[in-house]
Amino acid sequence: MKTVYSTRTVRYATRRSKIRKTDVFRMLVLLVGTVAMLYPLLWVVTIALKGSNDIFSTTPDWFPKEFHFENFVKGTEQIHFWRTFGNSIFIAIVSTIGQVASSILVGYGLSRLRFPGRKLWFSCFVGSLMLPGFVGLVPVFHLFSALGWYNTWLPLIVPAYFGNPTFTFLFIQFLGTIPKSFDEAAKMDGAGDRQILWRILVPMAMPVVITIIIFSFNGAWNQYLEPLIYVVDQSKWTLSVALASFASNWTTQWNYFMAADLIYMLPMLIVFFLGQKYFMQGLGSVNSAGLK
Amino acid sequence: MNANVRKRDYWGWIKGYLHISPSIIGFGVFVAYPLVMSVYYALMEWNGYNKPKFVGFDNFRYLFTVDPVFWKAIRITFYYVLINVPASLVFGLLLAMLLNRKLPAIKFFRTAFYLPTVLPMIATLTLWKFIYHPQYGLANHVLNLFGANPLNWLGSERLALMSVIIAGLWQVGGGMIIFLSGLQSVPQDLYEAAEVDGARGWIVFRSVTLPMITPILFLQLILGIIGAFQSFAQVQVMTAGGPNNATALLNFKIYSDVFGQRMFGYGIAEVWILFLIIMVFTVVTYRYSNRFVHYENDNR
Repeated sequence: MKTVYSTRTVRYATRRSKIRKTDVFRMLVLLVGTVAMLYPLLWVVTIALKGSNDIFSTTPDWFPKEFHFENFVKGTEQIHFWRTFGNSIFIAIVSTIGQVASSILVGYGLSRLRFPGRKLWFSCFVGSLMLPGFVGLVPVFHLFSALGWYNTWLPLIVPAYFGNPTFTFLFIQFLGTIPKSFDEAAKMDGAGDRQILWRILVPMAMPVVITIIIFSFNGAWNQYLEPLIYVVDQSKWTLSVALASFASNWTTQWNYFMAADLIYMLPMLIVFFLGQKYFMQGLGSVNSAGLK
Repeated sequence: MNANVRKRDYWGWIKGYLHISPSIIGFGVFVAYPLVMSVYYALMEWNGYNKPKFVGFDNFRYLFTVDPVFWKAIRITFYYVLINVPASLVFGLLLAMLLNRKLPAIKFFRTAFYLPTVLPMIATLTLWKFIYHPQYGLANHVLNLFGANPLNWLGSERLALMSVIIAGLWQVGGGMIIFLSGLQSVPQDLYEAAEVDGARGWIVFRSVTLPMITPILFLQLILGIIGAFQSFAQVQVMTAGGPNNATALLNFKIYSDVFGQRMFGYGIAEVWILFLIIMVFTVVTYRYSNRFVHYENDNR
């Protein structure tokens, strides 16, 4: 027994030094990878800060040499950036409110209320996740056009108010971890469903609610196809469409474009760094909610 | 008494249905209605304004026999999916394994790899469009640094689709994070047991790590396939399907047929083809999954 023990310690000792070597290798690979991941972003910054004469120099600058912060003003003037930014913010906030509220409401109904057909509807909603999104595109486009919603923001916002199966599913999962005795105690005290949900359960489920808010906002901020096909007037464009159109021109003033692009990225970066915990947490569950 | 209970039950039903009514309406309007109408529209000649005219299977006949781009689009879409999905999975898993170790600054590394996936899609796509600029883009600057000849990344028919796929790999951090959480949930005692049995390196990976994360791998595979078949913005923003339709993914073709050519009925016929392809791929993957996916509490 003793000999076995000693050979194992020896083996561990030799392995430990080996691990160090592989760890160094690991670090090197990771460093190279990190540069590859982050350099494009730094490149955006260098171009965003360049003067208009320097952007077409064929000898690349790897780091910014001068700082033309006025690009952030000029670049944003080119595409009526702030109006478009306002459009995007408005649409994202209004749809996030609707999506979060409706998903929570449906989640509560499915997990806490008892009524016939509950399981069937649940599988319908979850099953609809499997349906590729573009199947509905044309008929819904026709429907919304017939309603006179073409060239308005309604097609971008209204669908958010009809629940999102993934978020509903996430909320249901979390509700499953809250004992029903909380509901019952509240009911004893004369609370109705509305109070139970919004005053008791939602505050308890705050981590998952924040995750849902972040991902909902992210989705709305990213929305591209819908504004592309529904919104014609430039004054009503969202940032996604405006920037794609700005970039579709090769002779674009790059420095202005990159400056505008950076500001477009900014809200998501802020959300990411403030809510990193929820972001990471949600990512795994949003993804696994897809098919379970 | 009995009637009283009944009454309360009715109220319970109504309350339940009121709560889930947003999703019922949403399901009706955004899932059921389009599905039913798609069957009808696929058989029509329709430009979105006129009254749909019944043409039977003419849309499909034209699609399979006449349309010069359709088969090319199918080929390109397969090519795209078959490279993009495995590459994202493999690189994501490799990265996760590299990062699944207590190293100095590991948090920084994880954040760095994840960061690109946080950015808005259009911001990254437009950025990559400039990275691929033949004269001033970063990609050719880097090639130049290594003494290689510049490439016409998005402008050459041979290279364009590959460039789109490479740009997509910048987002590999999304898969990486999911695999990382999967790797971290593998019970440590399994590794200890493997070590006692004398297993090393590759063998530990093959017989402990890999089986334990197959459920996640499988889920990512399915979601990856469904997502990749529907890729659209990538080529719409970076190449507009060109050059010479070299990047005309099927979903992009559908978009341009419907909203560019105003061929609504025809576009819906194409949607059905794409839908069918995705279904077949998903079902085959499911079937095949029984052979390699290991579920810890297998109760099937």
